[in-house]
Amino acid sequence: MGHLNKRLLLLPGLALLIYPLLPGASDYVLHVMTLALIYMVLAMGLNIVPGFCGLLDLGYVGFYGIGAYTAGLLTIHYGLSFWLIVPLAALNGALWGALLGAPTLRLTGDYFAIVTFGFSELVVLFLTNEIWLTRGPLGLPGIQPVTLDLSWLRPDWYFEFYDKAPNFYLAALLVALVFFVMGRMEDSRLGRAWYAIREDPLAAACCGVNILHYKVIAFSISAAIGAMGGCFYARWSMFLSPDMFKFWESFLVLCMVVLGGLGNIKGALVGATVLVCLGEVLREVLAAAGLPPETRFMAYGLIMVLIMRFRPAGLFPAIAASGRANPLLVVLGRRIAAGEFSGEKDDARGTSA
Amino acid sequence: MLEQQLINGLTLGLIYALIAVGYTMVYGVIQLINFAHGEIYMLGAFFCVTLITAAGLPFYVAMLMAVICCALCGILLDIIAYRPLRRAPRLAALITAIGMSIFLQNLALIIWGSRSKPFPRASLPAYLSEQALVMGQVGLTWLQLFIFAVAIGMMVALFLVIHKTRTGTAMRALAQNRTAAALMGINVNAVISFTFALGSAMGAVAGILVAVYYNTLYPTMGYTAGVKAFAAAVLGGIGSVPGAMVGGVVLGVAEALGAGYVSSLYRDGVAYAVMIAVIVLRPSGILGRAAIDKA
Amino acid sequence: MAPLLELQNIRKRFGGLVALADVSFAVRPGEILGLIGPNGAGKTTLFNCITGIHAPSGGTILYFGQGRSMRTNGFKPEKMTALGIARTFQNIRLFNSLTVLDNVRIARHCRTCSNFLGAVLRTRSQRAEEKENVEAAMHWLAFVGLARHALADSGSLAYGDQRRLEIARALATEPRLLLLDEPAAGMNPRETRKLVDLIHAILASGVTVVLIEHDMKLVMSICQRLVVLDHGTHIAEGPPAEIRENPRVIEAYLGRGAVHA
Repeated sequence: MGHLNKRLLLLPGLALLIYPLLPGASDYVLHVMTLALIYMVLAMGLNIVPGFCGLLDLGYVGFYGIGAYTAGLLTIHYGLSFWLIVPLAALNGALWGALLGAPTLRLTGDYFAIVTFGFSELVVLFLTNEIWLTRGPLGLPGIQPVTLDLSWLRPDWYFEFYDKAPNFYLAALLVALVFFVMGRMEDSRLGRAWYAIREDPLAAACCGVNILHYKVIAFSISAAIGAMGGCFYARWSMFLSPDMFKFWESFLVLCMVVLGGLGNIKGALVGATVLVCLGEVLREVLAAAGLPPETRFMAYGLIMVLIMRFRPAGLFPAIAASGRANPLLVVLGRRIAAGEFSGEKDDARGTSA
Repeated sequence: MLEQQLINGLTLGLIYALIAVGYTMVYGVIQLINFAHGEIYMLGAFFCVTLITAAGLPFYVAMLMAVICCALCGILLDIIAYRPLRRAPRLAALITAIGMSIFLQNLALIIWGSRSKPFPRASLPAYLSEQALVMGQVGLTWLQLFIFAVAIGMMVALFLVIHKTRTGTAMRALAQNRTAAALMGINVNAVISFTFALGSAMGAVAGILVAVYYNTLYPTMGYTAGVKAFAAAVLGGIGSVPGAMVGGVVLGVAEALGAGYVSSLYRDGVAYAVMIAVIVLRPSGILGRAAIDKA
Repeated sequence: MAPLLELQNIRKRFGGLVALADVSFAVRPGEILGLIGPNGAGKTTLFNCITGIHAPSGGTILYFGQGRSMRTNGFKPEKMTALGIARTFQNIRLFNSLTVLDNVRIARHCRTCSNFLGAVLRTRSQRAEEKENVEAAMHWLAFVGLARHALADSGSLAYGDQRRLEIARALATEPRLLLLDEPAAGMNPRETRKLVDLIHAILASGVTVVLIEHDMKLVMSICQRLVVLDHGTHIAEGPPAEIRENPRVIEAYLGRGAVHA
């Protein structure tokens, strides 16, 4: 089962990775694929809060917006390099995550959900109204695309990411980076502390986990990843406006996470892919039916309700990995299979320990 | 103009209070933020207008029927979406509530279109648009008096239902301890349905009043109104019905004053900021119980 | 000999309800102390006060586990765990969707220290710690006899095994003092016998045990001393044989009049 699933995921993944190199690759398809990659980053980042810690975060797009505008403004005003802006934007996201999370994460989950919602609405209001900084509803045009300056290695190694294909690979790199970090976090002391909080906060505290501390860490890391996604988005689309960061985006990303299965990292990738493709299809279908494009959210709402009702573990629960590939556990599994512990009698406790 | 701002704020606040009561009652009995409550409010306005324009009913009859329809919608919402998840983690129910909210909003968008519509004023009794009182620069329309009367009347009726009827007692018992209430022979699902019906009816009334007051209705109207009403419920102390009323009025006045004296650009921001501040500084609200996670 | 834990006039009120009124007693190192009393006597509330889940409304909790006396009133649960007080719960609270091993590994939280950077970079020290952590967890699982179920989901364990897993999880925090809240509840006689052996082994490993239990046969057979609570007050204390004869205790359990009957 596990191998089958791996192959199922890997083959189309590889096929898609070489697609941009093929002659005659369509710009539209590349655009959609890049968009899917951005949503993968966002879905993986959001997943930390509801998936790992069990808290509903309705304001994720706020951090995405903070990251995007941080990147946009730093690029326009200071011309900073993308490679410097990514960590700065991530730090800014994490900072806001900590500032919002520290006082509010001690509340019950419902209150937290609504606070995050209010926060993201405030972010949009700020971006709309503080015209001196963000130009408000007019938007922020003319953001330079990403450049990679390696001229110190070879004089002609200076790249500008104007084309679709380089941006696609850059986004893929970002996805790979976040995926790697998520996998490492999940299978660690940090990830286990989060799972404990999700499963039973009181028992987690009695196991020595400082709940507030770990919730704030989760929220900050999630915010940082959202801000990184926004950072790439700003340099890729080269234009930002407050409308791009409304609640709908949070909802869409949450729907991806729910579809892929809460707490399932690979599921978030699948969820992002499915919903981005579905969005494109629905756009065509709805236009043909003469309906406004926003109505596609009806389908997303329905998906969320149905998944929670009938498949709470997501569309493909089987692709959850949860660190079982860790060599330590593989070795342990072999020891158990070899019967090392079968000597335990049922009615006399093994005193050998 | 302070008096005028206060009167406008009070009108708005009473409407918020009507919606907030729905949030708080549902939260009281099943500990769920019913995000779809704002959509019931929107449906109330649309049902009413549709009954007037399509069926040609007079305003008061249409209003009454729309309220009954919304009460039924509330019951259906609970039975279809929330009841199967009673034993599931709270996160699942919250996500379902968000999903239902978005679903209903877009369903309305498909049925009635995304443009905002005017309220069919011809159907309104003529006196509603006249000035009732004018004192210097301050004016009070019959419409505002109508809103005051309906809102306060509904609140009094609700108070009587909660405190003087058997079902009301059952609701309060359920809010205290669902298992114990079930053991005492209370039909839990029936009481929850009744709570949804009551809350939805109040929300529908609020939706109709807003549509008349601002002379406009649109499918996304439940979105901001819902959040603000929730903020009012939080401000008053979630789970507390008198708290929701007080919170609604305070928020409405704060918003009117904030828009009038600070900046109208941040009109909606006032509600969010008040909400975040209350949640952070005094999560139990003005009249509510503490809601900090144990441990 | 200095006590391990000393409670002085512990009071706890919930609104108007007095759950604990001036409860005082001491736990000596190396003993099994039974905490008994009718339902609603305040036994679990007392555990909650000791482990920092509730802050007592009054009185002093003195803990001597760190080589000196510490007033631990109002310390957070995670702090108490780090100081060496672990507990189990009356209604089992395992991390149900996680494996048996992970349940115990989580309990190693305050005895390990790797952080975000260690996890992402998988540094040498982090890898060593993870390895050590698995070893320690397996040690405690073997101790309670669950090692061969290490990779199973904890929710799928039999009821008695879940109770023992909770004990393994508590032991993995390396406590000086272990608080067991009705560990034998719902167990069949065979599982109860296994539990008695386990508690003796825990004691032999140097951990002091305080036990809330309704199974009087079990309590009388393994506890060296008993403390009896009734309506939040401390009504008796002493060896099992004495407690069995104590009229106030009999009255608390059987009601007024039973003594004279």
